[in-house]
Amino acid sequence: MPASDALPLAMRLVWLIPVYGVSGMVLALPWASGWIKRNGPRPAAYLNLLMTLLAVLHGTAVIREVLALGPQHLDFGWFQAADLNLRIGFDLSLTNVAALELVTTMSLICQVFALGYLDKEWSLARFYALLGFFEGAMSGVVLSSNLFMSYFLLEMLTLSTYLLVGFWYAQPLVVTAARDAFLTKRVGDVLLLMGVVALAAWSGSLEFNDLYAWAAQAHTQGWITPLAGTLLGLGLIAGPMGKCAQFPMHLWLDEAMEGPNPASILRNSVVVTCGAIVLLKLMPVVAPLSPLATDVLLVVGAISAIGGALVALAQVDLKRAFSYGTTSSLGLVFIAIAMQLPGIALLFLFAHGLSRALQFMGVGSVIACTNCQDLSELGGIGTRMPATLLAFVVGSAGVTGLLPLGCFWCYGLVLNSLLPDAPALAAVFLLTNGLATANAVRVIRSLFFGPVMPKTRRTPEANWLMALPMVSLTVLVVLLPWIMQRIDPVPGIAAFPLPVAALVLLSGGAGVLAGVLLPQESFWSRSSTIWLRLVQDLLAYDFYTPELYRRIIVMPVAALARLILWIDRTLVKGLIDGIGRASLATAEGLKLTVSGQLQSYVLTLIVAILLLLSGLQWVWGAPG
Amino acid sequence: MPVIPADLVHLEPSLSVEQVQQRLLSGQTLLSETSDHLIEVVDVLKSYGEVLDAYSINLIYQAEHQFLNPLPIFKYLDGDLNPAKIWRHLNHDRINFEYAEYCQKAMFWHGTGGLDAYLDSEAFAANCRAIMAAKRRRDPLLALLDALFPGFAPELIRSAATTHALGQFWRVMSDLFLDLAAAEADGRVRTIAQVVDFIKDGLVAAAANPIGYGVSIGDEHLWVLPPEAGLTFLVDVAVPYVEAVFLRGMPFLGTVSFNAQAQQISPDQSQFAYGALYADPLPSMGAGIPPSLLMQDMYRHLPERLHQWYLQRTRGEGDVRVKICMSFQRSMFCVTNAAINGTMPHPLDTAERTQQQANAAYALAWAKRLAAARTDCLTA
Amino acid sequence: MGLGGAGLMLLSLLLLIPFGGTLLLLLWPGQPSPQRLRLLAIGILGLQLAISVLVALRFDPAVGGMQLRELHRWVPGIGLDYALGVDGLSLPLVLVNGGLTLVSAVITRDIDRRPRIYFAMLLLISGAVNGAFLAENLLLFFLFYELELIPLWLLISVWGGANRAYAATKFLIFTAISGMLILGAFLGLALLTGSVDFSLTPVLSDRLAMGGQLVLLVALLLGFGIKIPLVPLHNWLPDAHTQASTPVSVLLAGVLLKLGTYGLLRFGLMLFPEAWVRLAPALAIWAAISVLYGSLAAIAQSDMKRMVAFSSVGHMGYVLLAAAAGTPVALLGAVFQMVSHGLISALLFLLVGIVYRKTGTRDLQVLHGLLNPERGLPLTGSLMIVGVMASAGLPGMAGFISEFLVFRGSIAVFPLATLLSMVGSGLTAVYFLLLVNRAFFGRLAITPATGDTSVDGKLDVQLAPVAPRETLPAIALALGVVLLGLIPSSLGHLSESATTALAQIGVGIS
Repeated sequence: MPASDALPLAMRLVWLIPVYGVSGMVLALPWASGWIKRNGPRPAAYLNLLMTLLAVLHGTAVIREVLALGPQHLDFGWFQAADLNLRIGFDLSLTNVAALELVTTMSLICQVFALGYLDKEWSLARFYALLGFFEGAMSGVVLSSNLFMSYFLLEMLTLSTYLLVGFWYAQPLVVTAARDAFLTKRVGDVLLLMGVVALAAWSGSLEFNDLYAWAAQAHTQGWITPLAGTLLGLGLIAGPMGKCAQFPMHLWLDEAMEGPNPASILRNSVVVTCGAIVLLKLMPVVAPLSPLATDVLLVVGAISAIGGALVALAQVDLKRAFSYGTTSSLGLVFIAIAMQLPGIALLFLFAHGLSRALQFMGVGSVIACTNCQDLSELGGIGTRMPATLLAFVVGSAGVTGLLPLGCFWCYGLVLNSLLPDAPALAAVFLLTNGLATANAVRVIRSLFFGPVMPKTRRTPEANWLMALPMVSLTVLVVLLPWIMQRIDPVPGIAAFPLPVAALVLLSGGAGVLAGVLLPQESFWSRSSTIWLRLVQDLLAYDFYTPELYRRIIVMPVAALARLILWIDRTLVKGLIDGIGRASLATAEGLKLTVSGQLQSYVLTLIVAILLLLSGLQWVWGAPG
Repeated sequence: MPVIPADLVHLEPSLSVEQVQQRLLSGQTLLSETSDHLIEVVDVLKSYGEVLDAYSINLIYQAEHQFLNPLPIFKYLDGDLNPAKIWRHLNHDRINFEYAEYCQKAMFWHGTGGLDAYLDSEAFAANCRAIMAAKRRRDPLLALLDALFPGFAPELIRSAATTHALGQFWRVMSDLFLDLAAAEADGRVRTIAQVVDFIKDGLVAAAANPIGYGVSIGDEHLWVLPPEAGLTFLVDVAVPYVEAVFLRGMPFLGTVSFNAQAQQISPDQSQFAYGALYADPLPSMGAGIPPSLLMQDMYRHLPERLHQWYLQRTRGEGDVRVKICMSFQRSMFCVTNAAINGTMPHPLDTAERTQQQANAAYALAWAKRLAAARTDCLTA
Repeated sequence: MGLGGAGLMLLSLLLLIPFGGTLLLLLWPGQPSPQRLRLLAIGILGLQLAISVLVALRFDPAVGGMQLRELHRWVPGIGLDYALGVDGLSLPLVLVNGGLTLVSAVITRDIDRRPRIYFAMLLLISGAVNGAFLAENLLLFFLFYELELIPLWLLISVWGGANRAYAATKFLIFTAISGMLILGAFLGLALLTGSVDFSLTPVLSDRLAMGGQLVLLVALLLGFGIKIPLVPLHNWLPDAHTQASTPVSVLLAGVLLKLGTYGLLRFGLMLFPEAWVRLAPALAIWAAISVLYGSLAAIAQSDMKRMVAFSSVGHMGYVLLAAAAGTPVALLGAVFQMVSHGLISALLFLLVGIVYRKTGTRDLQVLHGLLNPERGLPLTGSLMIVGVMASAGLPGMAGFISEFLVFRGSIAVFPLATLLSMVGSGLTAVYFLLLVNRAFFGRLAITPATGDTSVDGKLDVQLAPVAPRETLPAIALALGVVLLGLIPSSLGHLSESATTALAQIGVGIS
């Protein structure tokens, strides 16, 4: 790193930012491991909060430097052998650093929220240790300047997702959910690893900038076959697809809902954002090599957007009603990325991340208060929980194109770009917006309006450690358009004509209407009309994806495993035993294995050595 | 199938409905009469009494001095802001008051009994209006919130009322349990039956204690639970407490899935069986098990005799908090036993047939609920 | 081959200490208590490890060839020389041997039968393994290779489980055949080339016709393939592991299997480069089959130890893949994989051993919820998660960088076999998550899963506590796994010159 010595200290030490999070984990160990037994685990939480605060402040300093000096690059050698050079690299561009601030700030807010949500949790230290690890990995992913480091950290995210989902390890559904969440993500990761390894071998360098240059040339020079290019492209997009919970790898997000709510907040806002940012960084490699991969992105994005929104509408579980919304929104981001609209995709991710987090905070507040996440048992909270109500309303408005909060402007920008050339994709956006709005409205309706239910009879507002971050984030989401304008001043977030804005508002308005008019009972009770019931079940059970997985992947693998076991037990062992029976007989004759007589051991040793020497004698005697 | 060493896994027999009923009617204690049980129950109740003392003081402090405070940062410090105490608080070298709040929440959320009914009365609404009128003048934020969200403040006041009532309840229980320990120390209590009687007598003596709660706003004193409401200790607070904490409880995130589609939690709260008498002690101190906080608090106040007793069993210090939980469950059965005996419609030795039948029916109702609980802890 | 090294005869010390220790233990007067014998063995093995570290410090990583060489004519007539040397290929394995035999001795407790012989055999194995890794003479290698066999056989057959006679005999027969094949190949090489020079340096095989080369190489492959083990020659391994005691399993998986892969690289690739290149495509497919077979068989296991044993079959397949590809990165990956598999499988066997000692079973249908903080085995469980994640190739731990190097070095040469092996890497996560989630997650219970949780939920489980000293070696291994994963250059630095030199042999031919 030749020029970096001249850089300001905050930039030179930027590698510390992921380290803060991870060191939070290390600092929490004395409590998490039970080594400190007499005192409670809270100091671990405070230490993690402190480390995250440091990360936020450091990040702010770096943003300031980036604004002053322009984008910078920093890297350090990590492992070098032969023609392989693996490096730790940081790209300090404004978008990366802004994403970093999103990650660290959300982590900070979430950690405060968790202090309230998990106030009676004895394993608090372990939770914060995992959050620290989580945050560290995410900060690294967004800053990473090379594919190897991105992959490395994405896998760490997979691991920490597993551990966070498995946080309540004794709960029976967690046992399977954590496993399935890990394995679903792992499928994407292994495919991505195949892509990374192939790229490493073919292009030599894994720096994104080198990869871009290589991909552009590989295409024109014909360095790799179209088939290889296509496979490579598909492998590379599989990782982000898994991380962003896109069909058909969205299952983990549903499973992950078994984990604690504060972790769900991060997963639905910033983890998916990390996945999409990696995809954004990969796009200039994928696009020239594999037109098919781009098409796949479009198709997957569209299916996820509309399918996710439909499934969300049919969910009776409060957390899942919004987590499928995440799949849906990320589907839209995928479309934007595939259509080469990286700037808008980033804005969308930013707006979505904050608003979705706010929605999930509201969800956490309701669950903590009612011990329930079944929408059919919740209702009539009314005005008793103002911070929560505001979180739901503002968060929902933020993720949809309804009020001129974050995502509205993104919808406008996207539609403006898509309408002329790809009206079908524009329609996907509008439809998704309508469905997402309808979903948000029906959830808010069933939570806060209608008759009071037994489990919502006594619902005081959440404690201050939950309410304070919730209110702060509400303010942040309201201010979001202004922040977005600061991040992306050209062409500005309002660079679309009025008719487009009207279209967005219209789709949102239609959604509101649908959400208000649909009779509430029809959401929960199964319809008596047979075809309607089929559709309802299909959506409520997520297109039967878990069952599909079971049949397409789990059962064949299990069958294959049993077959191998049979081969191993019957064929291989049978054969060996058959051959060995004669020799066994002689060994039986010696009877020395169990008897434990020293003489026999020595005898055996001598026999072995004699055998060896006679063998040597034989070659010695042979013609020299 | 592999053979599992018998010394690793135990399964004690549970009591049947008939057995529980029979024990209740015959005046036999639910918990079998052994000297080990006596040590466990008396000593664990002693540490529980010490912890309840702190809980009670704090809950009453919160209800009176952190009333409608939007940012009650120092709510666990009981108004004592000296640096050493703040440091201990930060170092988590303290009582886990979060567990007291958890019990308050359970009581408030399940909402049974006279206190809960009063919270929905017109009289209570009038109290709230008076309080908010006084508060609005001093607190513009609250005034704004109250205007925009009229449901907000009354719900917080209801919650505070439950908090205060629970604080008063625990005051009595704390004193009772500490008295019990003293009585056992000087030889007045020597058997489990005497323990149950001691607690029963204490409950009966306090039964009619009035429950009241007022707050000071500026120099005004306003009633939240006025004496006119006629709320009393046993019927309006103790019984709902037993219902909410001993019997129903709230599902633990660490053992039950909240997933709506999995339908592991009954939609009917009266069917809940997550309370202290039903809970599984083995996962104590694991993730998502709120009573771990109480076990830790009792661990820090463990009488030396019981501590030594624990050190000689299973893993010694290694699993002491699971053992505390097991002892605690036994002691809670004794408390329940005392409460049932104290509320039995007629004396057990009555000769009148109708009275015997009324007793039998009462005992049966309890037996049905208790037989599903962890009665396996009673025999060992 | 610095004079200082020759003067100190460091490498000879690596043989002298364990062999001398063996004699010392056997001849120790009186009836020393098992505890004293154990401490004595630990002391000797600690000294051996210290010397190994000294060797590493004296080692010049920039040199690709043999260093610290020692050469004495022994039986000139048959070409058997006492020739020792160390290079970047063998040094890491010597260090692993030093570390893991020490771990084996440390975790050996309650040896009730013949402790004197037990510890003597442990030392004998350690010395023999050192000898095999350091030998620069084919016959010397073979001598050590065979020398390790009998003590290991004894360790299984005397101190093993209920079905130990069967497993030990099977082990003996398999490895005896392995030895014969290897000796046959060595002698054949001498016979066919008409030379009695068994030193490692000259490549004699180019004097042979390709047919002869192939026959000899196949014999070597089968011989070492049994040891590694490769499918379908692996059948002895799961039985040996399940019957062996924990320290022996640690030794077997961590150290002894590496003799096979080491032999493959040192004698297969180095002595028969031409034939190797010819066979490489088949070897790559064989590797992939081994990987997939091991992983799939592991999925179907319900005995934790058998599962870990089958994972060894899968993971040693990566080494064959890398050896087949023969690129510098792949060969470096092979060394990494040998070291990290040594550490990780030792860690896993150690932890399974703790579970077995506390619960009396390793059956995944029976064990549940062992993470329980007060009554379960929480630290063992946490370390188990570290171990299985390392084995599944999660970054930040040794398994990842090893697999990455192997795959990165092999994909350009054998794309299909590499991709299939990567699928196997994905399957590793499947079976190890089955293990962790079944045995460690959930409510603590030690019962066959009946589905009737109403009874399971009332079980009182009383496992003996795990003393810190029992988990300490596991913590050390886990730290090693993480450190190697985070700072791989420490090992890469030692081995790179050697593996690059090794790769050049292949390149020169093709």
